[in-house]
Amino acid sequence: MIAKIYKNPYIRFILFGVLAAMVPTLADWGVIRFGTITTLTQVIYFGIAALGLNLLLGYSGSISLGTAGFMGLGAYIAAYVLSDLNMSFLLGILIAILVPTAIGILVGLVSLRISGLYLAIATLCVSEILLESFRQATDITGGMSGKRTSFPSIFGYTFDRASTFIFLVAVLVLVMILTYNLVNSHLGRAFNAMRGSEVAAQAMGVNLLKYRLIAFALATAYAGLAGALCAYYIRAVSPTQWSLNLSLLCLAAVVIGGFRSIYGTVLGAFVVWAVPDLFLKRLPIIGDNPAIPFIFNGVLIIVVIMFYPHGLVHITHDARKLLNKLKKRGKGDADA
Amino acid sequence: MHNTVTLPEGCILSVENLSMHFGGLKAVDDLSFAVKEREIFGLIGPNGAGKTTVFNCITQFYRPKEGRILFNAGRKGESLRPMNLVGLPVHRIIRLGMVRTFQNVEVIKELSLIDNVLIGAHIKFKATVLEQALKLPRARREEKAISEKAVEALDFLGIADRKDLLAGGQPYGVLKKVELARTLMSEPRLIIMDEPAAGLNDSETDALAQSIRKIRDTFGCAVLLVEHDMRLVMDVCDRICAISFGKFLALGTAREIQTSKLVQEAYLGEEEE
Repeated sequence: MIAKIYKNPYIRFILFGVLAAMVPTLADWGVIRFGTITTLTQVIYFGIAALGLNLLLGYSGSISLGTAGFMGLGAYIAAYVLSDLNMSFLLGILIAILVPTAIGILVGLVSLRISGLYLAIATLCVSEILLESFRQATDITGGMSGKRTSFPSIFGYTFDRASTFIFLVAVLVLVMILTYNLVNSHLGRAFNAMRGSEVAAQAMGVNLLKYRLIAFALATAYAGLAGALCAYYIRAVSPTQWSLNLSLLCLAAVVIGGFRSIYGTVLGAFVVWAVPDLFLKRLPIIGDNPAIPFIFNGVLIIVVIMFYPHGLVHITHDARKLLNKLKKRGKGDADA
Repeated sequence: MHNTVTLPEGCILSVENLSMHFGGLKAVDDLSFAVKEREIFGLIGPNGAGKTTVFNCITQFYRPKEGRILFNAGRKGESLRPMNLVGLPVHRIIRLGMVRTFQNVEVIKELSLIDNVLIGAHIKFKATVLEQALKLPRARREEKAISEKAVEALDFLGIADRKDLLAGGQPYGVLKKVELARTLMSEPRLIIMDEPAAGLNDSETDALAQSIRKIRDTFGCAVLLVEHDMRLVMDVCDRICAISFGKFLALGTAREIQTSKLVQEAYLGEEEE
């Protein structure tokens, strides 16, 4: 019975969420430092963007280096709706999803006829155009000095750091569940078909352009949502956050964590955004060097691609296999 | 334009004066033949005769410059609409009731066998992206109903016990069956198979011949085979069209083709050496 409940994927997602939501309590008890919450929050919102990128890259097989630009767009929109229009933050999140998605579809219509490296360059250009727009549209974005916003509030309750974190965890779990449903539906199969064999996909009636467009739109929607969450947690948005570096880190999270794996993507986000802050910085001598996170990620990408092409998430699988093997061997010895 | 075409009486597919060339090479030269409803029709020819090119022209993977591909379009239960396929997008073809297999099996290695078969039912799913994300009743219902059909299709070909295994580790013969099961999901009226016997051993080829006949008898669809393996063609086909260097040689029953001088010279003659 318990095993059956544990195997239910939805219950697992919720269990994961409950465990993650305990982080602020752990901080209150003094088990972890308060700074850790901020680091883990980064994992959540960048993880959501990486999940979108995994849908696009892992499942449908198209690439994008425009994640950061669309995240930035979502962040500015969310901040604008809350602080300038004085409307609900939920509306802000909704608009921060819809507008980047609409722009993403327009971009996709023009650029998805190309693929591979060329698509990467095209999406990078779009991201840079957005970034430059953030710098120039000073009336809305505050230009280089950035834009400030406040913690969101609902029904007279204003979120603080801890409750925002729990809200973000809830959104992450929701996104994970939606993603799980999508990849296990005919949309997910169409994406897989497209990546695995374009000719077979076409022969089975998959309109390549349409499904690439859907994948691209989903990735931008996730990025917009991630940006909005980021804006509400940090309460400040500035252009420096949305550089190519962020897009590359999202890509790294997908590659390191595991293509086509939901938990893998979150694990990848943890490795990319939390491990340098939580562990590497504490190392003696080399910990102070600002280049360490980059070297760490770079080396890790190479190692993962060489030895774990399916991502770090498969380590648990392999570890279990090894354990079973050792168990069996132990038994065999006993029998002998 | 599409409603003015007429096919020969009782035919589902009519290839008329088809020509296709790549640069200076004429792969198909003024070729015409017609496939009847519920018929198993073979297209044969020696290596490089242009068989696969004909095939790709029919399914619109290539766009023929000259000639017409007339098809009596309509899936099972739909009213028939004769039309010229030339110029239609590739992904539209399956919706018209024609589905293909590939010479080198094109399955998705990372998916289970049943998921691969379900890809063949892509056109039958109606739920929107939002319905799928939220698993609303319609999405859940059609997923369940169509999955059951996919199990039936796998069962029909005798591999239902492997349905949850990944396609990546399966033997070639099983993957060929997966491709066949996949074609059945769209309820086609014409299945075209590109060298279905390629890479199979003798007993597997015999089993394949049985499967092809069983598919025709059970589902009432026509089958067009492009094939190199003479044994399978002679065994299973009602009528055969032989081509060589893209040109028409002969058309008839297996016996007629075997006794045709032209065919013997071009094809069988080589084998007797």
